[in-house]
Amino acid sequence: MRWVSKLRILVVVLAIFLGALAIQAQDETILVVGHAENTDSLDPAHGYTQTTGIVNRATYNTLVTFPDADASEILPMLATEWTISEDGTEYTFTLRDDVTFASGNPLTAEDVVFSVERLQNVMGNPSFLAEGIESVVANEDGTVTFTLATPRPSFLAELTNYAFSITDSATIMENGGTAAEDAAETDTAEDYLNGTSAGTGPYILDGWEQDVETILVKNPNYWGEEPYFDRVIITNIPEAATQKIALEAGDIDLALDLSRDQTATMEGNENLIVYSGPGVQTHFLLMNEDPELGGPVSDPLVQKAIRYALDYEGYKALWGGVTPATNLTVGLAGAYGEDQALSRDLDMARELLAEAGYADGFEITLSYPDYSSQGVNMNTNAQKIQSDLAEIGITVTLNTQELQVSLEEYRNGLQGFGYWFWGPDVLDPVDVLSFLPGGKVAEERANWTTEGVDEEILALIDAASTETDPAARVEIFAQLQDYLKESSPFAPFINPAIQAASRADLQGFVFHPQWGVDVSILSLSE
Amino acid sequence: MSFQLYFFRRLVFIVPLLFGITIIAFLIANAVPADPVTANLPQNALGDETLVQAFREKWGLDQPPHVQYLTYISNLLRGDMGTSIKTGRPVIVDIGEFLPATIELATLAIVFGLVMGVGVGIISAVYRNTLIDYVSRIFALIGVSFPVFLLALIGLTVLYAQLGIVAGPGRLGFRTPDPDHITGFFTLDALLTGDFETFQEAFSHIVLPAFILGIYVAGTIARVTRSALLEVLGMDYMRTARAKGLGERRVLWHGVRNALIPVVTIIGLSYGNLLAGTVLVESIFAWPGIGRYMFRASTSQDFPAIMGVSMLIALIYIIVNFVVDMLYFFVDPRIRTEGR
Repeated sequence: MRWVSKLRILVVVLAIFLGALAIQAQDETILVVGHAENTDSLDPAHGYTQTTGIVNRATYNTLVTFPDADASEILPMLATEWTISEDGTEYTFTLRDDVTFASGNPLTAEDVVFSVERLQNVMGNPSFLAEGIESVVANEDGTVTFTLATPRPSFLAELTNYAFSITDSATIMENGGTAAEDAAETDTAEDYLNGTSAGTGPYILDGWEQDVETILVKNPNYWGEEPYFDRVIITNIPEAATQKIALEAGDIDLALDLSRDQTATMEGNENLIVYSGPGVQTHFLLMNEDPELGGPVSDPLVQKAIRYALDYEGYKALWGGVTPATNLTVGLAGAYGEDQALSRDLDMARELLAEAGYADGFEITLSYPDYSSQGVNMNTNAQKIQSDLAEIGITVTLNTQELQVSLEEYRNGLQGFGYWFWGPDVLDPVDVLSFLPGGKVAEERANWTTEGVDEEILALIDAASTETDPAARVEIFAQLQDYLKESSPFAPFINPAIQAASRADLQGFVFHPQWGVDVSILSLSE
Repeated sequence: MSFQLYFFRRLVFIVPLLFGITIIAFLIANAVPADPVTANLPQNALGDETLVQAFREKWGLDQPPHVQYLTYISNLLRGDMGTSIKTGRPVIVDIGEFLPATIELATLAIVFGLVMGVGVGIISAVYRNTLIDYVSRIFALIGVSFPVFLLALIGLTVLYAQLGIVAGPGRLGFRTPDPDHITGFFTLDALLTGDFETFQEAFSHIVLPAFILGIYVAGTIARVTRSALLEVLGMDYMRTARAKGLGERRVLWHGVRNALIPVVTIIGLSYGNLLAGTVLVESIFAWPGIGRYMFRASTSQDFPAIMGVSMLIALIYIIVNFVVDMLYFFVDPRIRTEGR
């Protein structure tokens, strides 16, 4: 039949055409990132997950930022400079005058006001970050002034968070957005912002198929240095084992969520580079101060004995990373490094136990979720905790729980002896206040209240939350860390390293504690 | 009994069944001692009563459970399955997006499973207690008992990473754009749009996960086929058939047809299992299907999505069972004569 042969010719022509398209498409530089996607929103006012961080770092900018690799200092970004009032409650930022949004609209002080007020009023997941901001005002000279309810030394660090991304107010309002007080009910721009971005970053969000992939393309109106890759595809690969296989096969260029045992087997592969860098999650034991819940572990002597009984080197061998001295994450300004961390001393631990009246040890149940975070399997650690404590006569029964069930118990302060991890919300030492008397984790989860705590310590805690002078802060946090090491219901034992790997010619990869990965600084070596 | 009567009898059962499932799913989802608020809001937001209250109001969690249930049912009757907390989209839209990937995978898997399972089962029964039978039974045993995620990882490592015979994770290469959406089945859509390159790629991606799931169901199918066929082959009428001088092939065909009833049942159930329970394989193969959607919904206490997927799975089983029941009508002559 003649139409059949015509159809055949058509198909062949079509195939050649499509083939040519494919070849043409290969001319662009594409980066494929394998990542276990975990986000529910890419709208800066709604999303608050690592995936949101990675995407929004590429598509938006904040007023100030951190260096590429760490949180050691505050650097200008959309703001060129800033002044802080004497009392530490007013911050005034001068904006760059050469910035336009991806839409072509110029960046103005009103956009900053809109972005912050929208974050406050939509009541999204990250809105709590904007709580202490009393007002934000666009001044006549084009600067922006934030007024805080109380002085907050961590304010600039908070502003580096992608939740404070500066968004294109005109475009967002055209698409249903509002920063009005009733934004929680009336703002409808989230859908729009999940499909495209409205920022000033090096990339534009070209599409997000939730749980499948996120596509970024270059922003032609970007004010900074042009990124290397034309297109970035962040593809969702939930299993670390699959990420490893796909990287080895060359289907992806970068695998973000590997585990220590996987990267160990990749080290000899000359086609790959293995990255092991500092993480910010602290894994710790929680010992409830309420004797009815904690039983023997509510005793400060037992708590200290347990801190001496853990085999810190063993956890490091398992996951890489560092041993934290306290719950103040290693790497944050003024945090005690590994040199001040505890090391295992079983004799000391036994002595302390005997002093507490438990020379023959005791039995206790350890509750924790059946969960893996950043390649660290909590079950593995729980088993190790069990065997570490057995050496000083404490018999631990493991109580593995479904994540949400365990979380509910933990957040309601009902776990006597629990194992958890914590990642700081703000990359500033004030984050550790959560673990000091009256703080969030201390009081709500470990029942460690301010009652009976030395006045001196309470005064230090107060000072820590308001002091702005860097030298004075270091001194205050040093004293607080000494106190935590000596007497606290926590036993932090590992800051596991981040494990990632990429093709050998990928340059510039570094894991950042705030935004994960900045894809705009990656390139291929020639 | 006429086919129409048989059909309607089975159909009428579906309504109370679905209603019962909504109650059970709702009770179970609510009985879990975990709160969607803690599951979905970040740690520090939990201390902020305004945020927590806004979240509860937005998702109707401030209402007592029976009010929540009644709202759910009345919405459901209007065809509204609610909005997922996690994706912020109507559950029905989410299902529409994730289900085709699973149906495509499960369908190819059941075809593989059927061919392998029935084939091995027949060979095993015919060559009963010979080496061939033992080898076939070991195959069936592996299919039934070998952890499917391990099989998936071995398959990926050997067939994809080392030998490069098949493509790796995902429905297509990560750099390849999706075919135009017509049915949501990538292989079919690529064919329909005449894009053979994408078809090849999509097929190369689906063949390994489908084969692994195929092995997983083939084991059970083979075992059931073998025992059903052995039972039939031992029947008097089979001896009669042979005594009448019927050729061995025709005798066997006769036997296979009669052994089909339990096999059809198990195939139906296996297909239901594949549609509902491929979460591990979907995770390992980065396959954006309903299994993974369900897993995420349940880990984040996303009630509307949990309810939606529960209803969907129930419906799948009901439909599969219904189809199996209809097939019985043709396979088993006793049903046709029932009541006559």
